[in-house]
Amino acid sequence: MTDQLTSIGPVRVELPPLAAMSRVARLTATGVASMAGFNIDEIDDINVIVSEVMVALVEHGAHDTISVTFDVTNGCFTVRGATELEDFDLNHPDLALCRTVLAAVSSSHGIERDGVRAEIWATLQQSQS
Amino acid sequence: MGPVNRIRTKKGSKMDSNKNLLTTIVAADGTVSVAGDIDMAGGPVLEAVLLQCEDQLGNGGNLVVDVEGVQFIDSSGLRSLLAAARRATGRSARLELRAVGPEVIRLFEITGTLDQFNIVSLRD
Repeated sequence: MTDQLTSIGPVRVELPPLAAMSRVARLTATGVASMAGFNIDEIDDINVIVSEVMVALVEHGAHDTISVTFDVTNGCFTVRGATELEDFDLNHPDLALCRTVLAAVSSSHGIERDGVRAEIWATLQQSQS
Repeated sequence: MGPVNRIRTKKGSKMDSNKNLLTTIVAADGTVSVAGDIDMAGGPVLEAVLLQCEDQLGNGGNLVVDVEGVQFIDSSGLRSLLAAARRATGRSARLELRAVGPEVIRLFEITGTLDQFNIVSLRD
C-alpha cells in the first residue's frame, strides 16, 4: 500500500555548514519527493537542485547554521535554504555556475538577500503523468 | 542495498574513500576509477587524487578517469573536473573521461562545458 501525499511539509532541517551535509539535505529531499509521488527523473533533478542550493550556502555563506525547508504543494516541490552571510557576491563565478544549473534544472528559482541573511529557493513542478 | 562503493581493489592499487560518498581507485596503468557522488564533499577528494596522479604523469601524460560508477555530480564536482582538464592542457596533455553517464553529460551540456572534456566512451 502506498500513501501518496499531495501536500507535504514544510519539513525543516538545520544543518551545520559542512560540505558533507549536502548529502543529508539530498536524502531528506528524496524522502519528501518520493512520498509525494515524484518520479525517478524528477527526484534526480530535485537532488541536483538541493545540492546547488547547498553549494551556494556552504561555500558563500558565513559558516553559520543552514536552514533548509522542503515542501510540496499542488505537485510543486519547493526547497528554501537560508543562512547568515558576510560578503555574498552574486557574480562570483562559482555562484554563477550554481545559478546556471538551477536555471536549467528547476522550474523557477531565486536568491534573496535581507540584511545579513541570504535565502535561495527553487521549485520543481511535478509532471502530469 | 546500494551497489555504490562495492569496488574491489586489485593488488598494487590504492584506494581512498570519503565515508562511502566517493571512492577512487588508481590502477597500475594510472587509470583513475571513480564511484559515488562528486559533490562538495567528494570533489576535493577526487581533486587530491588527480593531483597526485598528475604529478606522476608529468608533462605530456594523459590522465584517464573512468566515471562509470559516478551516481551524482553537481557544480562543485564539475569544478574539480574542469580544474583537472585545465591542468592537463597546461601539461600539454589531455584529461580523458571514460564510461561517462547521462547525468554527467547533462551537467556538461547545461553549463556549456562539454567541449572542455575529451569523452572517449559513454557508460553502457
